[in-house]
Amino acid sequence: MSRKSKRADKAAETLDRITPAFRPVQVEKTAPCQVGCANCGDIRGWIGLVAQRHKTGSSRDQAMAQAWQLIAEVNPFPATLGRICPHPCESDCNRAELDEPLAINAMERFLGDFGIRVELPLPRLRSEESEEWIGVVGAGPSGLSFAYQMARRGYRVTVYDAREKAGGMLRYGVPDYRLPQQVLDAEIQKIVDLGVELRLNTRVGTDISLEELRSRHASLYLGIGAQMGRGLPVPGGDGPSVWTGSDYLARINQGEAVETGARVIVVGGGNSAIDAARCARRGGADVTILYRRSRDEMPAIAHEIEDAIEEGVELILLAAPVSVEREGDGRMTGVQVQRMRLGQPDSSGRRRPEPLAGSEFRLPADTVIAAISQVPVLDGLESLDHDGDWLVADSHGAIDKDTLVGGDAVSPGIAGEAIIQGRHAAESLHARLRGLDPDKASDPVSPPIEPEDILLASKKGCEAVHESRLQGEQRVAAGMGEVAKTITEQQFLAEVERCFSCGSCYGCEQCYMYCTSGCFTKIEEPTPGMYFSLNLDQCKECGKCVEVCPCGFLEISQPSA
Amino acid sequence: MHSTQKSVADSFSDFVESEEKDFTLRDGSRIAVVGGGPAGSFFSYFLLKMAQAIDLELEVDIFEPRSFGYCGPAGCNHCGGIVSESLVQTLAAEGIVLPRSVVQRGVESYVVHMDVGDVTIESPVHERRIAALYRGNGPREGGDSELESFDGYLQNLVTGLGARVVPELITGVEHRDDRPYLKYGDGKGGQYDLVAMAAGVNSNIINMLNELPGDYLPPKTTRGYICEFRSTKEEILRILGRAVHVFLLDIPRFEFAAIIPKGQFVTVVMVGEDLDQELVHAFLNDPVVRRTFPTNATPCVCSCSPLINLGARKRPYGDRVVMVGDSGITRLYKDGIGAAFRTGKAAATSAIFHGVSAGDFEKHFWPTCRNIVNDNRVGKVMFATNAIMKNSRLTRKAMLRMAQKEQEKENARPHMSTLLWNMFTGSAPYVEMFRGTLRPGFIYNLLLSVGAALVPGRKKTAQPRKKAA
Repeated sequence: MSRKSKRADKAAETLDRITPAFRPVQVEKTAPCQVGCANCGDIRGWIGLVAQRHKTGSSRDQAMAQAWQLIAEVNPFPATLGRICPHPCESDCNRAELDEPLAINAMERFLGDFGIRVELPLPRLRSEESEEWIGVVGAGPSGLSFAYQMARRGYRVTVYDAREKAGGMLRYGVPDYRLPQQVLDAEIQKIVDLGVELRLNTRVGTDISLEELRSRHASLYLGIGAQMGRGLPVPGGDGPSVWTGSDYLARINQGEAVETGARVIVVGGGNSAIDAARCARRGGADVTILYRRSRDEMPAIAHEIEDAIEEGVELILLAAPVSVEREGDGRMTGVQVQRMRLGQPDSSGRRRPEPLAGSEFRLPADTVIAAISQVPVLDGLESLDHDGDWLVADSHGAIDKDTLVGGDAVSPGIAGEAIIQGRHAAESLHARLRGLDPDKASDPVSPPIEPEDILLASKKGCEAVHESRLQGEQRVAAGMGEVAKTITEQQFLAEVERCFSCGSCYGCEQCYMYCTSGCFTKIEEPTPGMYFSLNLDQCKECGKCVEVCPCGFLEISQPSA
Repeated sequence: MHSTQKSVADSFSDFVESEEKDFTLRDGSRIAVVGGGPAGSFFSYFLLKMAQAIDLELEVDIFEPRSFGYCGPAGCNHCGGIVSESLVQTLAAEGIVLPRSVVQRGVESYVVHMDVGDVTIESPVHERRIAALYRGNGPREGGDSELESFDGYLQNLVTGLGARVVPELITGVEHRDDRPYLKYGDGKGGQYDLVAMAAGVNSNIINMLNELPGDYLPPKTTRGYICEFRSTKEEILRILGRAVHVFLLDIPRFEFAAIIPKGQFVTVVMVGEDLDQELVHAFLNDPVVRRTFPTNATPCVCSCSPLINLGARKRPYGDRVVMVGDSGITRLYKDGIGAAFRTGKAAATSAIFHGVSAGDFEKHFWPTCRNIVNDNRVGKVMFATNAIMKNSRLTRKAMLRMAQKEQEKENARPHMSTLLWNMFTGSAPYVEMFRGTLRPGFIYNLLLSVGAALVPGRKKTAQPRKKAA
């Protein structure tokens, strides 16, 4: 039962009168896209800025710039994440009830590219500088997100990274056909333009000690990621021609040629495994992925798996290597594989694979890439609290008084989550340094919208926009060239119109038009979410305004007990 | 505005042009109908039918953001839901046959309730019936009912003829380059060769037509009160039968009310200048009402206080603009759908066969409106007289007695019955009703009844001639 009718029932029961009072109240709700992920900023808000530009009096370019800035409040990487994020924001979109979810990710990518093309600067929050000098270890998504959030609040920030270039896994883990390096370069440059200093080729523990950093900086943020791939724990798994996924991808992403031979076996079911398989395929090899569970359990993004299969990658499920076969000179000849079946769920909730006795078979192979899992490199950081593999932090990301941590170093996740952790750490550090209430620093929460409160009856179905993509064989032939194109401005402007603006007024004017008692007054300079003020002095309590409200912003007010 | 920037020469050439302006609809002309209720549908129906007849291709966009498939106020058009017998017949003659699923119940009689007694008035001519229906999809929580929306039915009829229903709210009307320009709810807009306003009086769009040529002012209005109660079909049939129940009660400030059976719901309609919760409460708790109310009715599920058209203030047309239904001229209190039908047809006739200038509408549309306006003048007198009679116990008794006598006798001339029937159903023009009251038979019988009412001790419980249901 929807919020509207539930409230209505209550009104009928509790009022000592024959006719119920359906009085409206304006309540902004949290849209499902916000629940899925808070890293694209106020998604409904930035879509609304563009979709409602005719009503708010913004030009198209103004509206798109405002939308970009709203994303950039929380995420300085829209062009990047618009390409690689698995977009959990889209999965609960109420639009799916009618036709298809909004293409939020494709729109984010468009705006990201727009921000690069018209050279929009990242928005600052404070003009005055603060005394504190903040250090960041690791120039990946979480470290750069933290650095950006501190820099825009007026802090001097220096980021140290062991590699030659900034970007972390975005640069060394994600292949160019998914994320061209110049896109990443452009978005990192905006952070540098804000005054963030990059000290590259500087490895903590070797080139500079943790103690030096601690004495130099008021606070430290460790966004060191999980750089080290785990090896293949089978006989023959530590010889030549066996790569970890992270090593292999880092080489490829630095433009190095990696000789794999004609037959490559990739072990694992995550995004690194898929990325490595697709890169090896582009190198001309026949590629087989071995995964010990079924397809449903594969952690990789579903469409990436499909892409790999379309490109000719073979997928063998419920199978795991038991040994790597080698000639006398150590040259790899093949892999002995065992069939598996799924048993009881393990601690991760996924069903545990169990070997099937007598099911072994052999696959010829020249190279094995083990993309099993990655862990942080803790060399030189052993003094910090860790559980052997991972750093351990409290809910605010603090590992001790002056040290914060986030991203893959704490728990492996998607880039979006690393960016959120970097931002939250910056917000809490800023609150502490400036003596502000740390709880107010985090995102405000309003009640969720219920799908029944979206009035679908008057909506017309229309398909979502889809990025134009190369077909399987064309993709392989294109090598490291990007496989999908950014949507056009025309497509973008059409797609924003599909948003229901769940739980936030978008100025449809129906309440205003159908209320004959004059309860609704237009706000002179409206903004998305704020179009009408409400005065109930003349309200006839018919509740029509609530029922015509297509986005669930108006609801029946509950009589106070 | 464009005009402020025009030079004198431009204005002059505009003037010359306007003398030769073409106000006829041509192939490809775009017509916007603002509002998808009966007025909009009837106008579109006749426009497209007539255009077909003369092989004219028109683009008709009907703007209606609401869905009549929705239960409750969002899909409703706020009315008691009575279609008069004469309209049902007229619609049938035009090829619009209302299916059973739309008509809730063939109403066969009216019961007039007064503190002095009740009288059942059978339909004056037996074949005649009136229909009770829902304009939208019924009240809140009406999802399980078997009814189909009257407005939705008409809308389907019109889309079948090629009209396009656009689910956009119109939020403003402007005049641009000699054509009306509609602003849509999504911030965009469109230009049209003709705009038919069929938005009723319960939407603020009619207050936004100042930009248009002509000197249209929205109609004068009063408020009514409608609420819906859920019961069961059996109970409603037992208590209310196949009758509409009207009440002429001596409650302070009370003017008129009716209770209408519709499937498992009953609709209570009240009309008056000074309606509030207190009066609604007093009415629903009056002993006369209580004994005519289903005993198992749940608290009201749906209520509203819609505006009712009391008459247009200025001419309901201009160059390329015409107001049909309640947005323009309608019958006083009764038969709004009938008026929507007549004004819609007249506006369509003018637009197709004569033209869409103010002058064309004045010649070919206004006469239909004027007839309604003149009839309403008579109606006002009749309602005022009725109010006076209802407020005196003596005259109430006289009315009751006269109607009872007529209903008891097999071949009596049904003077009072016909009058009451027509006043409640809106079946006949007020002028015709008024003429009826001038007949010697009516006056003679009324005086007789007044005399009889003066004689005490002859109180008799009302008994209709025979039960219809």
